[in-house]
Amino acid sequence: MKKVLVLFLAFFLPLGAFAADREVYVFNWSQYIDPAVLDLFKKETGIEVKYSTFESNEALFAKLKILKKNGYDVAFPSTYFVERMRRLGMLKPLDHAKLPNMKNLNQGLLNKPYDPDNAYSVPYMWGSSAIGVNAKVVDPSTVTSWDDLWNPAYKGKVLLMDDVRDVFAMSLRSLGYSGNETDPARLKEAYKKLLKLKPSVKVFNSDSPKQPFLNNEVVIGQIWGGEVYQANEENPDIKYIYPREGATFWADNMVIPASTRNIDHAHAFIDFMCRPDIAKMNCEYVGYATANAKAQEMLDEKTRNHKAVYPDKADLDRGEFQTDVGEAIMTYEKYWELLKTQ
Amino acid sequence: MTRGSRFRNFAIGSPMLWIAVFVVVPYLIVVLFSFLTRDPEGIVTWTLTLENYREIFSPVFLKVCGNSFILALGTTALTLLLAYPFAYILTRIDENVRRFLLVLMIIPFWTSSLIRTYALIILFKANGLLNTFLLATGLISEPISILYTETAVFIGLVYTLLPFMILPLYASLLKLDRRLMEAARDLGATSRHVFFHIVLPLTLPGIIAGSTMVFLPALGLFYIPDLLGGARSMLIGNFIKNQFLTTSNWPLGSAASVVLTLLMFLLLVWFFISTRRAHSGDMETVK
Repeated sequence: MKKVLVLFLAFFLPLGAFAADREVYVFNWSQYIDPAVLDLFKKETGIEVKYSTFESNEALFAKLKILKKNGYDVAFPSTYFVERMRRLGMLKPLDHAKLPNMKNLNQGLLNKPYDPDNAYSVPYMWGSSAIGVNAKVVDPSTVTSWDDLWNPAYKGKVLLMDDVRDVFAMSLRSLGYSGNETDPARLKEAYKKLLKLKPSVKVFNSDSPKQPFLNNEVVIGQIWGGEVYQANEENPDIKYIYPREGATFWADNMVIPASTRNIDHAHAFIDFMCRPDIAKMNCEYVGYATANAKAQEMLDEKTRNHKAVYPDKADLDRGEFQTDVGEAIMTYEKYWELLKTQ
Repeated sequence: MTRGSRFRNFAIGSPMLWIAVFVVVPYLIVVLFSFLTRDPEGIVTWTLTLENYREIFSPVFLKVCGNSFILALGTTALTLLLAYPFAYILTRIDENVRRFLLVLMIIPFWTSSLIRTYALIILFKANGLLNTFLLATGLISEPISILYTETAVFIGLVYTLLPFMILPLYASLLKLDRRLMEAARDLGATSRHVFFHIVLPLTLPGIIAGSTMVFLPALGLFYIPDLLGGARSMLIGNFIKNQFLTTSNWPLGSAASVVLTLLMFLLLVWFFISTRRAHSGDMETVK
């Protein structure tokens, strides 16, 4: 009996000591992963996930900036923060050879200006902000452009996002510029145009823009595709229109911070998240669109064909992902404050 | 050291320690940050500057402060008008009814004010309870717009802050010496005279305490105006939030917080002085 015990200990003790190193530190948005995925990862790879969450890109950025080493192995910043952190040397380049499951991703979401060739990031969830209308009041076929928001017929019935970048991107696109413009003269032009829209705006809301639509407070405005999908369960008359100038797209991406403890574990985790069955679990749990094309095919027909969530390739190509505007953000904020205090 | 004094040291020391660690230290960090320089590549650089305070006094920030002050003042005036008669009646009714009414006033506080604000949205929205009721009774033919107007903002703020006005008023009205009012009446004073020359001056400490407890939170609250008013204007709270979350200008956001705190501190000093004046005033009246 004693012998067995010794053998038992000899066998398991080193493993126990070893297990302490088999960890991966993951830093994600709250409510943004199926917790079962973390258990599955441990079961299949033996690597334990040390999971913590943040509420904003700024909080993520500040934390990664302060931690010089022994930080997180995988984090989930949005597009423009990927770009900023990459530029500031806060990310480790990805080794694509260690990420065979990247082949499952939606090709339309790869190699975007915020991270050419996906050298530092892999998209996780994504979506768009475009035009929402209440079809009971506004004929959706008459709305094709961001400019339609300026139509005096909708005075007092317009919703804009309560977000400086989203609102300015819309105005800039309607002027034929990029939504990531940094030229002060063009930003001023966009501000002047927004001043004309302000009296029409009933509400600024980016927490849940579907609510004012469902409450019949607004009939047209900016909204996220995912919110239209949710709103349609209650009211199928809320329609989503990709304007001809192009919608604004967002994506949250997996990256490896420079302060990583174990770059191999980080790659293993990212690759695991790109597996179609795992991506499907996360997509169904979180409710946003998955960047995984294989997982998308596995979803039920109603979801995978809903244009508000999964746009046509043409609409995706016409749109723009938010990139970091650098110091121009100060100019954006200055005009935003002026717009809000008018 | 006796057991009693050890207990006393503990009882005083532990909250003090708590305040020092979780209030004073973080606040000192805010003050320090307000004198540092923004770093576009990171968070701050350790270059001391007064630039943030110079930048704060821009026309936009003054307008933002103006918006917040008007909102807070309006809310204080409205709550005072509503709370005074209510508190007065409370002191005059049967004790059991009074207790019941006080409990009714406290119960909503068991729910988060954010949730209660969402409840107001359900009440006021175009297809909400109020409009459905008014349309059904034929009182109106088109839904009236309340949500996303200034009216909704004031209703929300007054509703949330009303108890903070009622309780101090109630306490000071309860202490009111009835004999003084009887004496005034006996000497031929009209009800108006009694109210303005006796009741009002004697309850001034309650009015000042209540107004402070309403005005200061109203100055900083921004989620109620955002949710009920449609976020079409910018308040101090929004301004500070944007400095941290949009432009990552922590020094400017910190400077704005320090200015807001200083303003509130000055108001508290004013409150303290006026209460003492009001108290010495009632000493004279008694003499």
